[in-house]
Amino acid sequence: MSAIELRALRKRYPPREPGGAPQDLWRGLELTVGEGEFVAIEGQSGTGKSTLLHVVGGLDRAYEGEVLVLGERLRGLSDARLAALRHARIGFVFQSFNLLAELTALENVLLPDYFGDGVPDAERRAREGLARVGLADKASSRPMALSGGERQRVAIARALLSRPPLLLADEPTGNLDARTGEGIIDLFRELHRDGMTLLVVTHEVRVSRAASRVLVLREGALFPDPRLEGSA
Amino acid sequence: MKPARLWRLANANLSRELGALAVSAGGVALGIGCLVFFLALGRGVQRVVRDVFPVSARELEVVVPQVGVGSLFGEVRLDDATVARLRQVPGVAEAFPRLALRVPAVTRYNGLFFGREIRMGLEVVGVGISPDLIGGDARFPFVDAGEDKPIPVVVNRRLLEIYNKVFAPQRGLPTLTDSMLVGFQFPIELGRSYVAGKTLPGSYEASLRLAGFSDRAPLAGLSMPIETVRRINARFGQDSVGYSSVLLRAQRSEQVGEIASAVKRMGLDLDESERNRALQIGAAVELVTLALSLLAALITALAAVNIAQAFHAEVRERTREIGVMRAVGATRGDVATLILAEAAVTGICGGALGVALARLGGLLIDRVARNGLPQFPFKPDTFFDFRPSHVILGVVIAVAASLAGAFFPARAAAALDPARALSEG
Repeated sequence: MSAIELRALRKRYPPREPGGAPQDLWRGLELTVGEGEFVAIEGQSGTGKSTLLHVVGGLDRAYEGEVLVLGERLRGLSDARLAALRHARIGFVFQSFNLLAELTALENVLLPDYFGDGVPDAERRAREGLARVGLADKASSRPMALSGGERQRVAIARALLSRPPLLLADEPTGNLDARTGEGIIDLFRELHRDGMTLLVVTHEVRVSRAASRVLVLREGALFPDPRLEGSA
Repeated sequence: MKPARLWRLANANLSRELGALAVSAGGVALGIGCLVFFLALGRGVQRVVRDVFPVSARELEVVVPQVGVGSLFGEVRLDDATVARLRQVPGVAEAFPRLALRVPAVTRYNGLFFGREIRMGLEVVGVGISPDLIGGDARFPFVDAGEDKPIPVVVNRRLLEIYNKVFAPQRGLPTLTDSMLVGFQFPIELGRSYVAGKTLPGSYEASLRLAGFSDRAPLAGLSMPIETVRRINARFGQDSVGYSSVLLRAQRSEQVGEIASAVKRMGLDLDESERNRALQIGAAVELVTLALSLLAALITALAAVNIAQAFHAEVRERTREIGVMRAVGATRGDVATLILAEAAVTGICGGALGVALARLGGLLIDRVARNGLPQFPFKPDTFFDFRPSHVILGVVIAVAASLAGAFFPARAAAALDPARALSEG
C-alpha cells in the first residue's frame, strides 16, 4: 500500500502583473511513495519542493489534482480532520527547527500534546524521544542554550512524539555543519530501518544518498535521479 | 484543546511578552479602576444621602391642602374620622396622626450641662406623635402623664448628630451620646415666645424629660405624646381635634402610588418635600455616577483598542509559530482559542489590578477626608461602598473588553494559511 499518492497535481500562482497569465508551478505531478520508503526530492530553489511537502502535509490546500496520504483523500477533509491527521500520523521537520523559544526542550517535544486529544503517555514518550536523539540531559534547556544540531534533534523528537508513520522533512540539514548534519542523516536512516516512511526535501547529496529513492523536481515535473537512486 | 494545556501554553506565551502584557493590562486596569472607583463612590454617596434624608419607600405624609376648594369651605379636616377613613384605603397598613404644638414654648437652661456651665434659651417646636410610631425607641414611658409630671420627649437621632458636629463645636459644648442624654430633664415654659417677644395668658412652666432617640421622630423639634400636645393645645384654646398631618405606611412599596391617588381623591394633599429633595439629590448622584462610569467605560474601550493593536502585532510576530502549531496538529479553533485565552489572562490581570487600584484610591481619599476635612453632620467614615459585585463586575468587564479587543486578531491568526505562515513568518 502506498503512503503518498499524487495524481495530476498542479499548482498555480496568480499572475504577477494585472492581465498576465497565471504562473504554473507544477504541470501534473505524479508520485507514489510506498509505505516504509525513504524518498528524497531535490531541485533548484523556486521549483516548489517545500510547497510539495506542505501539500502532502495538508498545510496547503490550493492545488488541483489528487492527493492521497496514508489512505486519506486530503481534498475532502475538513480543517479539523486535517489537523487530526497531522497530529497523529504526520511528523514535520523544518530547516529552521521552529522551536518555541520560551519552552524547554521537553516542552517543545510535548507541543503536539497540547492539541487535539493530546498524546497518550506523552511525557514518557517525550523523554524517550529526547533520549533517542541523544538529548536526555537537555530536557530542561531552552532552545537558545542548544546548538543548531541539538535544536534540530529536538525538532525531530517533537515530530516523532505521536509515533507517526510518515515524516516530512524540509531541508533538515540545511542549517547544520557537515558533522552535525551527518548525525541527523544517521537518525533518518534509523527511522527508515524502523519502517517509517520519509519524504525529505533537500539540496544536499549526502541526504539523498541515504534515501532509497531520489527524485528531482524540475520544470514542474518529478524525474528520477539515476546517479543516486538506490545508493543507500 | 484541554484547559490545563491551554493555560500552560498561554502562560508561556504571555511570559515572553511581559512588557506588552503590562501595557495592555495597565490600560484595562486604568479603565476598570476608574469604573469600580466611581461605582463605589456613587453607592457610598447615595448611602450618605440616605442617612441625611432617610426616605421610606412605603410611607407618605398626608396634609390638608394649603389652598383648595375643600379647605376654603372647611370640608377637609384631618380629624379622627378622616384618619379612620385613611386606614380603610386599600394597601394602607398603618396611619399615624401628628399634631403640632400650636402654642409657643421656650426652654431656658442655666446651670451645669455635662460638666460645662451654660446659660441658654431656645424656642421649642413641639410635635405630638403616636407612641406606636416610635415603638421601642423610647426608654421611658412615652405617654401623657398629666399636668404636674415631666413631659416625655423623643428626639430624632439626626438632631443629635447636628448638635455634635455643628452646635457643640461652635459653642464649646461637650459631645453627647444617646445614653448620656436619655433621662435628662430640662424646663419648658409653655405659652411664651422669645422670637415674638410675647407671653400668652395662662402661660406656665413644666419640665421635659428625654425619653429616647428615634429615627421615626420628625427631624424638626421635640416629639411629645400626641395626647400631651392635645391637652396643651386645648388649655390654650387651640384646635385640639384636627391633626397637622397623618403618616401612612403602605403594606408594600408598590402600593404607594395607588394610596397617593386615593388620598388626593379624598381632597387631601401629600407633603412630599423631603421625599422629593432626597429623590432629587439621589438622582443627581446617580447621574454624576453614570457620567463618570461612562467615562470609565470609554477608557476601558480605548484599552480594548490598545489590546487589539497589541495582539495584531503579536500575531504578526508569531506567524511562523502559528504555522508550526498548525503543523503539529492545532486546528484554526485551537489557534483562536489560544489568542483569546491570552487576552482573557490579560483581562483578568488588568481587572484585578484595576479593582485593587480603585480600592487603594478609595482608602487614600477616605484618609484625606478623615484628616483634612472639618467635622460636619453625617460625615461618613468612608465615602465608598465597595461590594463583591464590584470586583466581579470589574473583572468580567475587563475580560470582556480584552476578549473584544483580541477577537479580530484571534480571527486573523486562525485564518492564517499555515503553509504561508511557515514560509513567510
